[in-house]
Parts: sequence; structure tokens; C-alpha cells
Amino acid sequence: MIIRIEKGSAVPISSQIAEQIATLCASGKLASGDRMPSVRELARELAVNQNTILRVYERMVREGLLEMRHGQGTFVAEDAAGLTRSAHRKRLTEELRHVARQGVALGLDADDLHELLTAALEQVLRLARSNPKTQAKIEVTK
Amino acid sequence: MSEFAIEFQGVCKSFRRQEVLRGTTLQVEKGKTFAFLGRNGAGKTTAIGLMMGLLKRDAGEIRVLNLDPATHPVEVRRRVGYLAEDQTMYGWMRCEEILRFMAPFYPTWDHQLALQYAKDFEVPLATRIKHLSKGQNVRLGLVLALAHRPELVILDDPALGLDPIMRKQFNRDLITHLQGQGRTVFYSSHLLYEVEPVADEVAILDHGQIVRHAETEDLRRDVKQISLSREAAGLLANQARILDQRPDGDEVAIIVEEAPEVILALEQEGIEHQVVDLNLDEIFEAYVAGRKPEQAATQRVAGPCEVTT
Repeated sequence: MIIRIEKGSAVPISSQIAEQIATLCASGKLASGDRMPSVRELARELAVNQNTILRVYERMVREGLLEMRHGQGTFVAEDAAGLTRSAHRKRLTEELRHVARQGVALGLDADDLHELLTAALEQVLRLARSNPKTQAKIEVTK
Repeated sequence: MSEFAIEFQGVCKSFRRQEVLRGTTLQVEKGKTFAFLGRNGAGKTTAIGLMMGLLKRDAGEIRVLNLDPATHPVEVRRRVGYLAEDQTMYGWMRCEEILRFMAPFYPTWDHQLALQYAKDFEVPLATRIKHLSKGQNVRLGLVLALAHRPELVILDDPALGLDPIMRKQFNRDLITHLQGQGRTVFYSSHLLYEVEPVADEVAILDHGQIVRHAETEDLRRDVKQISLSREAAGLLANQARILDQRPDGDEVAIIVEEAPEVILALEQEGIEHQVVDLNLDEIFEAYVAGRKPEQAATQRVAGPCEVTT
């Protein structure tokens, strides 16, 4: 499990960690039943305050992505992949709306925007085909 | 009173005619990791000097572990682990010698623990202090500050001069050896993004006063940049605390405190606006660079300081 923390980002550290764990669940890199590192371990690994990690775990338990089993640790929940996928879909919709708004502001019409999206998609797929590792990296860092 | 490890109440300190602290008020809860932020010359080291009983305050009250450092300096120093900004140690001593040299000063010194920390922090025991690298020097200072099992640790800009890898390692040590054991850590820095991952709370010191004290994540939620028309910004001027503003074409970009309330009010009024999340450096800048000299001057006049010497 690789989590990257960007210092000086406008995204708070707890959100950065939560988003990346959610992405790992959605992509199947973290499967349901997998054991998460302990709060202490992850805090040390990332050099992040233990309370921050604890809050992230607690929030994700409330959201149903993780579950804490008493005395055993924290695990990826049963339907984590499904839950994160719908959350990601929602976020992606939001990002696409943002892109669309920018496009409209630049004076592009629907056809132009569709064309740009198709081109971007082709590029990504071509890259993924030629080098399967790249795709993994895209998933992990985004 | 006893739930606080450190308390400052209206503390003033001047050096000759230069006022460094002007009515500084601050409370640090026990068990918290507290980052003390300010630009160079903001008064951080002076405040720490007062806490350790190395300087005498002109006015106000200070309690460190419920003791007044001005009247009980030795007891404070026994119970606090202190790493000075310019940790100067006898260069001719070997690391192992300075550990033995320091031990008798502290009734609670644990030499086994000192050797363990030295090992954990990779301090070369047989090397002379003058031959240590900057990073090793800070780590040796940390061993000396921790070996008597202090309940409070005060570190004056420990990350200064460390490279990024050493800083991360230092943060790890802080998390494992101090936070993990529920001790209070108070440390100063001028690098906001460095303290963010580690600190529970931050306080920003500027011109000798605390301009903000908050939990790290609350600060981010609370301070945001909002772009809106000039007229709308004019309306806000009376209702919101504006930290900084700059013109942006026909619009104004303002940085406000209590952003969620301001945004809600704008939405209710149906005023067009755009919200931008800020990183901690930008928030810090808004607090310390957004303040104009006149503002600082008015605050100085209005300040509660009565210097009695």
C-alpha cells in the first residue's frame, strides 16, 4: 500500500490519506478483509500525527469503508469497493462539470469538448496498452 | 489550571527599547503536540527563553507545568526537555562523554534510555561533537533533551538546517517517541507545511502577539479565499474579519476567517462568489504579511502592556 502525501497542498493531509485509501479500495488493490496497518504503523510510515490517522480511520469506519474489529485491528469492509466506486463517480462527475464550465468559458461548444475528451481518453488507453505498469501508477498517485 | 502544560497571560518583554512580546497570551494543553509559528524575529525564541527561566519577563504571568519559571527555574529545567535553537555543546567531548556529563544534572536521568535513544537516532557515540553533522548534532541534542523522561519537551526550531529526509526522520522520531507516549511537545518553526503533518494545534505569533491559535485542520476549514465583486466585498467589510485583500480585475480576492459562515451568508444573499481553498503557507502569509504596519502600531498602542522596571 503506497500513500503519498503532498506537503503544502491546499488539500488537508487527512483528506489526502482518506482519498488515497478509498482509491486503493475502488481499484481492488485493497480487497475486503485486508488488514490495514495499525494507526501507529501508518503514522510512523507517513510521519503524520497519530491522531490524524486515527481520525481518518474513524471517519472511514463511519462511512462503511473500513471496520474496526476489537483487539484485532482495522480491516477493509465487505462492500468497500462498491461504496468507493459510487463516491468516485460522484467526484468525477463534479470534476467533469468543472472542466465543462471552463470549456464553456473559453467559448468551446459541445462538439469541441467531446472531441477533447475522446482524444484524452485515447491517449490514456494507448498508454495503458503499451505499458500496463503505467496504469497502476496513475491509479495509485491520483 | 492544571490541564495546561504551558500558560502565558499578557506577557510582555522588551530588550532595551525594542518590544518583542506585547501581551502574549497562550495556553498549551497537556498531551498535545503544539507548533509555535512565526517569522524570523517574531519573538519565538524570546518566548521560549521566558518559559525556561533564561530571561525575565517585564509583565504578565507564565506557568510551565504549574511552576513560575522566574522563581523556580531549576525545577522547570529538571522537568522539561529543552532543545535550544543553536544547540552548542563542548566540541571536544565525545557523544558518549557528554551523555555521562549531563546525567548528574537530572535526578530522573535514565542512562539506559539515553543509550537506547542514541542508538535509535543513530548518534555515533565515539565521535567528537565538533565532527558531527548538523543532523547528528540536532539528534544528539534530542537525546540529551529526552533522557530524563521529561513530561514536557520544548524544541526551538529543531528542523532548522536539516535536509528533507532528516526532517521526515525527525518527525517520525517525534511521533514515535513523544506523541506515542502522551507527552506534551511544544516546538517552534517558521515552516508551516513542515509542522502540518505532525502538530495537533498551531499558534501564529506576529509582532509579539498571538494572531491565531487553532487546531491544524480547523484552521484550513476556517480560512479561505473568496473572489467577489467590489461592491459585495464592501458589504462584507463590516461583517467578516478580512485578513488580506487584493484587486483581481473587476473583482476582489479576499481572505477571510470564519469562511463557512461568510459563504453561507453570501449564498443566502444570492451574491456571486468563488471559493478557493488555501494551503497552510498561504494562510500563514495572510496572517503575518497581510497585517499592515499601521495595524501593528494601533495594536501596540491598544496593548495592555505596562512596563514596570
